[in-house]
Amino acid sequence: MEDHLPLVTRGLCKSYRVGHIRQSRRPALHDLDLEVREGEILGYVGPNGSGKTTTLKLLTGLLAPDRGEARFFGLPLADRAWRHRVGYLPEHPYLYDYLTPAEYLDYVGRLFGLAAGRRRDRTRELLALVGLEKAADVAMRRFSKGMVQRAGLAQALVNDPDLLLLDEPMSGLDPLGRRLVRKLILDLRREGKTVLFSTHILSDAETLCDRVAVLRAGRLVRVGALGEMLRLDVTHMEVLAVGPEAGLPLLEGEVGREAVGDRIRLEVEEEALGRVITGIESAGGRVLAVQPVRQSLEDYFYREMGGDRGGTAEEGPWETA
Amino acid sequence: MGDSLSRLAAVAANTFRETVRERVLYNLVFFAIIMTLAGLLLGPLSIRQDEKVLKDIGLAAMDLFGTLIAIFIGVGLVSKEIERRSLYPLLVKPLSRGEFFLGKFTGLAFTLLVNVAVMTVGLYATLLATGRSADPLLLAAVYPILLGLLLVVALAMLFSTLTSSTLAAVFTVGVVIAGRFSDVVRNMQEVMPGTPRWLSGILYAVIPNFRNFDFKDRVTYGDPVPPEVLAWVTVYAAAYIAVVLGLGLASFRSRDFQ
Repeated sequence: MEDHLPLVTRGLCKSYRVGHIRQSRRPALHDLDLEVREGEILGYVGPNGSGKTTTLKLLTGLLAPDRGEARFFGLPLADRAWRHRVGYLPEHPYLYDYLTPAEYLDYVGRLFGLAAGRRRDRTRELLALVGLEKAADVAMRRFSKGMVQRAGLAQALVNDPDLLLLDEPMSGLDPLGRRLVRKLILDLRREGKTVLFSTHILSDAETLCDRVAVLRAGRLVRVGALGEMLRLDVTHMEVLAVGPEAGLPLLEGEVGREAVGDRIRLEVEEEALGRVITGIESAGGRVLAVQPVRQSLEDYFYREMGGDRGGTAEEGPWETA
Repeated sequence: MGDSLSRLAAVAANTFRETVRERVLYNLVFFAIIMTLAGLLLGPLSIRQDEKVLKDIGLAAMDLFGTLIAIFIGVGLVSKEIERRSLYPLLVKPLSRGEFFLGKFTGLAFTLLVNVAVMTVGLYATLLATGRSADPLLLAAVYPILLGLLLVVALAMLFSTLTSSTLAAVFTVGVVIAGRFSDVVRNMQEVMPGTPRWLSGILYAVIPNFRNFDFKDRVTYGDPVPPEVLAWVTVYAAAYIAVVLGLGLASFRSRDFQ
């Protein structure tokens, strides 16, 4: 295994026991081979139920793998030393709500063996970083979901980790909170940290990631840079038009159309744009707007992977914002 | 080893803080009310009678409140953490499952120690306030009560690693009641004639005998408890606690947190 890499997994498998009387095993993750490179932001994307959280729980020791192995910085999972270099934010974190965030971070600092002075300084730094300095002494039972998420991020950073594992870090955040977390992740990369974050929100992965690992029904189906995965050139043109009362006839070069209220949105091949506009006007319609369309990560999933807004029957839908 | 102990101490301290913030020690207010009422109501009785009744009430309240805390906080110590997933971020820190589990036990044990200590002071204060002597013999009943409570916590934690907190509470209450009536368990055939002898034998051998921790009557009648008896009770409790905690820890260590 590549010992210099922050994280390497080989053949990692997990299945869950289902049923009470007739027990069987439902596979959740198949032969995961994944490498996370130093200093990158790797998006771990897939629909709900595709195995993202299972992977992170396997990596963090919350689940035992059926087979396979993983190494953090060359250290096997059984070696506890890697825990000093890794930070983890679980999905929908629940932090002790009888504590204030300052007390919670101090507690976590004690688990890392930090001295009292260092814990105090680190707590102050982290609360400022996640925008909770004014709520430092408020019991977390009074926190909104977004504030708990931010406190959760702070606890993942107490040990100044080299690698951060974030499970759906934007989940439950309002737009301001999402922006804060996005900025935080980008700042961490600037500091040379490595981030692996799971998400089913494709726009987050598109905005932040250097590379994306795509998981579907427990299988890793693709890993690569977004530029490699997506065609960044224009795929087609979109024309928004108002048709004549009799309706707009089928136009040459048109590849799709959709009614939007009293308007029609046409998907048009780039080279046929001129002919289509002429066709609309000669039929008595009016062109309102024309815009080029580039392939997004969302399109990639929907089209290239045969997804029709979802994965398998066991998987939930994708979210796009 | 030092790092391990300091992490265990951190978990224990936080568990104690949790019980204090969750108002577990409010039971002391009820204890104070009971002792005050007992002191006032027993005035008309003769000195010897009311002193015994006062001690009886104080020790029984200590045992009852302590057992309720040990069961109902004990079953939640681990299961609540699992249900709420609050242990997820912690177990990814350099904190082993063993340190977490034993830290939780130590934290609740400390809560019970404080609880019993305050109640003992309250009992002595009531005795002195109503003109009786502060009988040091009472401590020979208080100490085994504390040992019994620690065993109840260990049982509650074991069951909470195996099942939901509700079922864990039911099982713990069942074992505590069976353990307080261990003679009935041993002679089950007399009560339930169809019961196989081997079953009653196994149950009697496995279920801890909580009567071993009950010196209340003996002490209130002024009968001293020899130190070697207290030493034997200590060894008995320690052995049971070690085995029960060991089983609980093995179950907790092998558990998948889905």
